[in-house]
Amino acid sequence: MDNKIEFLSPEAWRQWQLELLQSTLNRVYERVPFYRQLMDEKAISPEDIKELEDIKKLPFTTREHLAQNYPYGLFAVPLRDIVRLHTFPGIKTPIVKGFTNRDLKVIRKLTARFLTSCGVTSEDIVQICLDPGMSVWIEELKEGAEEVGALVIPPDPQSVENRLQIMRDFKTSVLISTPSYLQYLTQIMHKHGLASPKNLRLAILVGEGIEMSSRLELEQHLGIDTRLGYGITEAIAAGMGYECEYREGYHLASDYFYAEIIDPLTGKPLPSGERGELVITTLAVKANPLIRFRTGDLTRLYNEPCMCGRTTPRLSQIEEHIDGRVSIRGIKISLQYIEALLEEVYGHVPEYLLYVKRHTQLEELELWLAINEQLFEPSILGLHQKALAFEKRFEEIFGLPCRLKFVEKDHLHETAKGRKVIKD
Amino acid sequence: MLVVKNLVTTYGPVTALKNISLHVGEGEIVCLIGANGAGKSSLMLSIMGLVKPRAGEILFERQPIQGKDPPEIVARGISLVPEGRQIFYPLTVEENLELGAYQRFKKEPKESIFHDLEQVYQLFPRLKERRRQLAGTLSGGEQQMLAIGRAFMAKPKLLMLDEPSLGLAPRLVDTILSAIKVLNKEGLTILLVEQNARKALSLAHRGYVLETGKIILQGRAEDLLADEDVRRAYLGKDYRKFTD
Repeated sequence: MDNKIEFLSPEAWRQWQLELLQSTLNRVYERVPFYRQLMDEKAISPEDIKELEDIKKLPFTTREHLAQNYPYGLFAVPLRDIVRLHTFPGIKTPIVKGFTNRDLKVIRKLTARFLTSCGVTSEDIVQICLDPGMSVWIEELKEGAEEVGALVIPPDPQSVENRLQIMRDFKTSVLISTPSYLQYLTQIMHKHGLASPKNLRLAILVGEGIEMSSRLELEQHLGIDTRLGYGITEAIAAGMGYECEYREGYHLASDYFYAEIIDPLTGKPLPSGERGELVITTLAVKANPLIRFRTGDLTRLYNEPCMCGRTTPRLSQIEEHIDGRVSIRGIKISLQYIEALLEEVYGHVPEYLLYVKRHTQLEELELWLAINEQLFEPSILGLHQKALAFEKRFEEIFGLPCRLKFVEKDHLHETAKGRKVIKD
Repeated sequence: MLVVKNLVTTYGPVTALKNISLHVGEGEIVCLIGANGAGKSSLMLSIMGLVKPRAGEILFERQPIQGKDPPEIVARGISLVPEGRQIFYPLTVEENLELGAYQRFKKEPKESIFHDLEQVYQLFPRLKERRRQLAGTLSGGEQQMLAIGRAFMAKPKLLMLDEPSLGLAPRLVDTILSAIKVLNKEGLTILLVEQNARKALSLAHRGYVLETGKIILQGRAEDLLADEDVRRAYLGKDYRKFTD
């Protein structure tokens, strides 16, 4: 796998990224009326971008913009060039992301680079265990592993016992999963008195971060190495950021992304190492480029060189999502989506609390609603049916089950203590 | 090796190049593709110092060369094979080649120049056969070989070729392009402008797509060959503009 580019000199990186940024802006300005308007409003043309730092002259974009321009507004290529369309839940409208053939090739290469950096080779047997809510990740990881030449086992709707059996019988050497699912697997093995799978040597964990102590515990327990990967579905899921052997943050794929860290309140850029919101500009995307996209993820960016020799900047683990998104089993659920769904089913948004139960084996979701008069139906059956309808819609949208629970207002207040989400 | 940053070139009121940034690494073949009038030749002339850029930087081996005169740029190691060959018709083939080494005669021993002359003859045996013939009597393909040979005689580190296959029969195009490949294998860095985008991309390592004086796309040659926009605008039957 050719990864020379990850070791370019800082000077060469600046030129490389400037060239890509300029051509991306030339394309979106010509082809996407939304971006042209944004730039015209600020009286900026692509020709005003003469240094990477000039990117600050451009306005930010957000998930709101993605929704406003649904369905076709943000494509930078004719629709006939799009060969794949991923859709995922948005607040009012779905969010769509198109890919040209070239985009898919790029992503394959990028994902393969991520996996290779983690130590995956063509000798490996790679098993992916991710929830259907992470379909974009699944797709990209599967193709990336194929590009590396590994044998890949994509997730099928199997029981956890079956998955463990496949892991044993097919001698899985690399498992790709979320931290919480790996913990869950470990507990199941423990419960059934199963030994750790002999051939498993590496777990690649995506979708969410993990605390160092839990990580070491998992590694020790299973006798494996772990690597983390980071991505945002709106840009590129797998391969956007990945750990090297020194595990000091995610190396950003700088040939495809330009990253900035800003103060989420003022929008001002923050220096290297300070905590702020990650803003991403795609540099080599054809179908749906993103310009200064606010990810809502709070992290730090380090520009100092890494011991592995890669010269790409590194991101720390995501510390928080500022836009009311919660990560459950790697799936990002926005409170705004939940409110929109409550509005849809009940016609209003009652007081609620999202309760993420972690003491069970796998994170379980409960949505507590404070009982009020509007919620009541003439019959218990009606109440029940509505609750079922909500749960069904929830699972349809997020690919995760969520139990609805009606509680007294006081009880909710007492438990919530002003919070809307509790992870316990 | 060559780094161009934010280059702007104007002809009177007409802006030919708008904020062009690109680079050519040592040992690479980089090609520029684009329709007529996109600015490909202007870019080469600007690098060569034949047209003075209005703004921007051109670095060759980390030294700024913008605003320098063409002889100095040749002396630093850049040669251009211009569009339409522009060889000296009344002179013989060998005289043309020797003129290519004009700047070297005072500085280098004759042997090294004759050695390079032999190399050109090896690359293009046809030129050796016709070494005493007047350049004006050569066929189009032979003239192109001569133009490349003459540029090579300046012993460049970077060879720039503007439309080397223009007006040539397909078989000759292949001869010229494979000669370029040989030169590159021997260590010469190459910047190539070519109408025949498919041929150019199958030869090059990387490419840039120019349109109305701007770079709108770049990438590895194999990625550009597979790119839908490039296919439509430059490889297919449909000659619409890229940004239409």
